[in-house]
Amino acid sequence: MRTAIASAGAVAAVLLMPFAVAAQDGSSAPAAPRGAAPAPSYPPYVRPVSSFVPPRTPDGQPDISGLYLAIPLPRGIETPLVPLTRPPNRANSEFSFSLNERPKLPEGAIARPVGVDPPDGRIPLTAEALARRKDIIARQEQIEYLDGRVLCLATGVPRSTIPAPVVGYQIFQKPGYVVIFYEQNHLYRTIALDGRAPLDPNIRKAMGVSRGHWEGNVLVVEVTNFTNNFSNNWVIGAISATPGVPAESLTTGHGIPHSDQYRVTERYTPIDANTIHYEAKIEDPKVFTQPWTIAYYAFARAPKDYVPVEYACFEGNDKNLLLMTNTDISGVRVNVPEE
Amino acid sequence: MKTRIITVGAVTGVALLIGAMAVAVAQAQRGTTPRAPAASTSSAYNGPRTPDHKPDLNGIWQALGTAHWNLEAHSATEGIPAGFSVVEGGTIPYQPWALAKRNENLQKRLTDDPLRKCYMPGVPRATYLPFPFEITQMPNHVGIAYEFAHATRTIFLTGAAHLEDLDFWMGDARGKWEGDTLVVDTVSLGDKTWFDAAGNFHSDALKVVERFTPIDATHINYAATIDDAKVFTRPWTISMILYRRLEKNLELLDYECAEHVYDKLFKKSGKP
Repeated sequence: MRTAIASAGAVAAVLLMPFAVAAQDGSSAPAAPRGAAPAPSYPPYVRPVSSFVPPRTPDGQPDISGLYLAIPLPRGIETPLVPLTRPPNRANSEFSFSLNERPKLPEGAIARPVGVDPPDGRIPLTAEALARRKDIIARQEQIEYLDGRVLCLATGVPRSTIPAPVVGYQIFQKPGYVVIFYEQNHLYRTIALDGRAPLDPNIRKAMGVSRGHWEGNVLVVEVTNFTNNFSNNWVIGAISATPGVPAESLTTGHGIPHSDQYRVTERYTPIDANTIHYEAKIEDPKVFTQPWTIAYYAFARAPKDYVPVEYACFEGNDKNLLLMTNTDISGVRVNVPEE
Repeated sequence: MKTRIITVGAVTGVALLIGAMAVAVAQAQRGTTPRAPAASTSSAYNGPRTPDHKPDLNGIWQALGTAHWNLEAHSATEGIPAGFSVVEGGTIPYQPWALAKRNENLQKRLTDDPLRKCYMPGVPRATYLPFPFEITQMPNHVGIAYEFAHATRTIFLTGAAHLEDLDFWMGDARGKWEGDTLVVDTVSLGDKTWFDAAGNFHSDALKVVERFTPIDATHINYAATIDDAKVFTRPWTISMILYRRLEKNLELLDYECAEHVYDKLFKKSGKP
């Protein structure tokens, strides 16, 4: 008997859903226009202080290595505040997915609301960037503006650490480095800890260039040199914007662009032997009027028998793109590795 | 019983995981193990070692030579340097039908080579592409990150059994140390990758046993034994040297192959 698992990159988008914030933040929702999602507000973000002292690697780093699962964000983070009321479009009609299919987190894994700064949940976009984002939202079904995750482009930082359908992470440590493998789209990052200079700005990487250091037991990583090749290179994102949510709102999720000046400062704080809190401070003077931050309990140590599986996103995604955008990429060939 | 993953995309992973677990539980192990190549396990290695006393393979490595063009001996053609065979005995022991298929692949290589669609290169091809790869070595896992198309492998050294009969582009890799040689046994490689740009191919019965035997701190003797009874008359072995990249502050860069597909697509359509 053969079991066929036929699916495509796009499906991800349906589950990823807008980066909306639920009422479990404890905030009361202000009045919103009819049919619109409430504009959320957040308690002031307070960076957690952890007294947990991880064991040490042979070279003296705090040892956070191992296999992890993404801690689901509160439901409102990954699902729209307002159910989609418009007729299903090509981007969301073909697939369905049950969140219950996620691998089960270990007992006791912490799921808590995100921290957001500024707490009004409005991304401090410049007027020009806001216009660009509105443009991306308006064109969201065209392949050039489609969620980059659906195109199987590398999702960058912090997007690769936002729970998605495939939720495994593997943290390796070796002398002078922390290496993270993301199960999603087999992405990886090598984080150099030796204080080396950033790369020449002419060298760009889809996952950025990472330079880290340990501040006590907290891994702090500066990420720069991001690729900015496409309208699909986003800070965070989702398959589609929630109708009625203002384009400057974090809860819209969809299509937050960045420029070549994009810079992220990450903090990985081990809370206990099984949990890592994640904070990303986002800066881009060409796109944001001030830095902004999102933070959440991101990593829960995976069950002992957990085996990461291959997530071959681009391979086989052509049917999906044809379905979603009527674009046929199956005939495109590139010169690899010659020329 | 066999589980086939036809198309893998975003959502598949979770379903896949569940499927994989089910399969792992449900299936008995299949019997055959590829014959190990006749590489020396004598320990002449005097290079650095990890705290658990294994040869320290951490770092960035790359193959030289022309195996990525053609595993077998070949004269130069336009744009392609001549090269020695890396196959023990010189030629790949194809079954007659398979040799004809390989020759057809060679004729169609500009359209049919899976790498030209930016698919993951598979094993062992990932090792000898003209791109570096980085080994991160821990007692229970060895991670290999490849610059080409950000392919990865996690080699489990935990002794846990394969998840058999899945279909992964980069396979399901389990390893162990035999003396100073890292022996990696990879299955579930599917039938969609090629061994090189000359159309050398395999079926979904492929099993690969790789042996990473460090010669010194900067060289690894790499051998891979290919076992695929559907395509070949016997198992066969390739071998080559892997060179440690010694440039100061070297790091893997990007070859985001899929981006080049979209570049081509978007430019053709005249859109941004």
